[in-house]
Amino acid sequence: MPDVVRESVFNLQFPFTRSLGSTLSTFFSALAQGQLIGVRTGGRVIAPPLEYDPDTAADAGTDYVKVGPKGTVSSWTWVPEPTHLHTVKHPFAFAFITLDGADTPMIHVVDAGSESAMAAGMRVEAKFKPTEECAGRIDDIIAFVPAADPSPSDGAGEPYAAPAENAITMLDSFCDLTYVDNTSASTLLWMESLLKGQIIGQVCPMCNRTYVGPRNMCCVDAIPLDESTLVTVPDRGVVTNFTIITPVQYPGQTETEPFVRVSILLEGTDAVMAQQSVLEIPASEVRVGMHVEAVWAPESERDVSDIGNRGWGSGGECIRGWRPTGQPDEPAENFVERMM
Amino acid sequence: MSHQPVAVVGIGQTHHKKSRADVSIAGLVREAALRALEDANMDWSDIDAVVLGKAPDLFEGVMKPEMYLADALGAVNKPMFRVHTAGSVGGSTGIVGSHLVSSGRHKRVLSIAFEKQSEGNAQFALGGGKGASIGAGGAFAPFIRAYIRRSGAPEDIGWQVAVKDRLNGAKNPYAHLKLADITIEKVKESPMMWDPLHFLESCPSSDGACAVVFTDEQGGKAASKPPAWVLATAMKSEPSTFAGRDPVSPAAAHACSDEIYRAIGVTNPREQIDCAELYVPFSWYEPMWLEAHDIAAPGDGWRMTAEGATALDGSFPVNMSGGVLSSNPIGASGLLRFAEAALQVRGMAGEHQVGGAKLALAQAYGANAQFYAMWAVGSSLDPLG
Repeated sequence: MPDVVRESVFNLQFPFTRSLGSTLSTFFSALAQGQLIGVRTGGRVIAPPLEYDPDTAADAGTDYVKVGPKGTVSSWTWVPEPTHLHTVKHPFAFAFITLDGADTPMIHVVDAGSESAMAAGMRVEAKFKPTEECAGRIDDIIAFVPAADPSPSDGAGEPYAAPAENAITMLDSFCDLTYVDNTSASTLLWMESLLKGQIIGQVCPMCNRTYVGPRNMCCVDAIPLDESTLVTVPDRGVVTNFTIITPVQYPGQTETEPFVRVSILLEGTDAVMAQQSVLEIPASEVRVGMHVEAVWAPESERDVSDIGNRGWGSGGECIRGWRPTGQPDEPAENFVERMM
Repeated sequence: MSHQPVAVVGIGQTHHKKSRADVSIAGLVREAALRALEDANMDWSDIDAVVLGKAPDLFEGVMKPEMYLADALGAVNKPMFRVHTAGSVGGSTGIVGSHLVSSGRHKRVLSIAFEKQSEGNAQFALGGGKGASIGAGGAFAPFIRAYIRRSGAPEDIGWQVAVKDRLNGAKNPYAHLKLADITIEKVKESPMMWDPLHFLESCPSSDGACAVVFTDEQGGKAASKPPAWVLATAMKSEPSTFAGRDPVSPAAAHACSDEIYRAIGVTNPREQIDCAELYVPFSWYEPMWLEAHDIAAPGDGWRMTAEGATALDGSFPVNMSGGVLSSNPIGASGLLRFAEAALQVRGMAGEHQVGGAKLALAQAYGANAQFYAMWAVGSSLDPLG
């Protein structure tokens, strides 16, 4: 097997939404107005407020108090190389900051210029975005900065009267995750064969099953399969199941009209290629038992970048889909145990 | 293996809805947990260990929510476990909780399972974050088509299940869907989603949570309300794809119920078991599971549906709560099945109570119909005696 490590880079994005519940809605609604608050529970002030006492899980109640905007750093860690996901683009610290009037620390950014300016015990104050830009998010506070005047915050510890209805009850939480997969040796072989216009598999010497898409193991006998078991298999086979999907719209959805996906058992093999496209006929004409053949993309257009290690049988951008050969159908009941 | 009796003494669930925008995730799970603690006449401090289950983290985009929820669920300075077995996870979460008591390690354990589907999108998550997701319905439709072909069942069986479960759900104050005016005609006329499954034959997307409190024999006997006794538990798995797998009547499904029946001495499940909560997210899974769990003979599951045997007033009621077809907070859906079976043998199921239920079965399945979790609960430690 080749020992080349190929890295596949994948990106995952989704606009998740969070409902905040009463306590966090109160916190973020106040924050959008430039007011930090905590909740008095169990004989101390927790800021930001929680719905529950973290020590006992008892309901924390609604005895809200004003805290900050100044506070004291108790601990910190330096971030020398911010990523594109950090709100501050130059080196900064994440710090535990106990706001004036609070008994517990909150975590936030401290923008002090340099690591040497950071110290436990330093006094900092919240630097808010302009009010019209505040959206009720924790990054309404751009950062905490060294306090110009270290004296206690005005009004900290005073009761906070929450409005009857909170302006902020939801939070957008955009996920942007890039991850790298080291392509396995067997996936690499699969990719190389597809680029050449061939489909390969492996034959288990114990049970004699032929797997399409080498996986370097037999999942029935649980034994490793090596390069000596590789075979080239025909790019023709039979549809063993199909599903017609009415697409639900979601961010990242690529389909708008009903589409069909089929599993195909290639001639002489035992494991299907799943979730394949059918070309040249409408979804309503797809049948279990139908003979099909691969429609290959021109060599110059073949691409395997979207194939991951768990995509056994994925044709990537090498196989456009499968078209009927016109041969008479095989009996559908022959394929019940070859659906997946 | 030493095995000590386990009692369910507390059950709680949220009101399930399309969006529980009134609560945070912590608020959602606490709502169910507090109802379970109240039912058990316990406080957070009475609990020795917490077990949390939910489906893939990509559903809400909150990674490892057990970390964020540890203090919300009173687990500070206590053991906390996260369970994940895809759609069967709610069942597995109940089973893991019961084992912590049956092993003698802990005296009082809280199992809780949840999903807040409104925070993300299930089709997105099940499609691995890519376009053209086939979703659960798209994955199961071929198995259902093969079942119909194999059994010769008439096409209206799925519609009948969809109506029956929604009418049961209309009696359940916690159910997401309360479709008291549903008809066969409405199901049949609803849009085709994943041929042969219509929209009304499919489960909703729900926000919700379910919690169960377990305790030992002494605790069960001392409980202020009738306990449900966990008589047997089983979990089985099989690979998602292998040459020779029968996904219509999977070997792991048979093995799971076989183990339960052997453990409690059931030789004729249809006669000896009073009712069952089976994981039916798409209508046709009712007859499929009746056969795969040997409650009906092969090819005969649909006849039980057609004859009305599985109705609330039938000889073998199935999904008295309204089932997954009425509420589907995915991670909690399995535990809701397990909890409903327990409510039935406690005689606490309200308008959807099966009169005199002494022995009830609950099942959940997950992923590519490859993970199974099941338990049998009784009104006493020897309900067949």
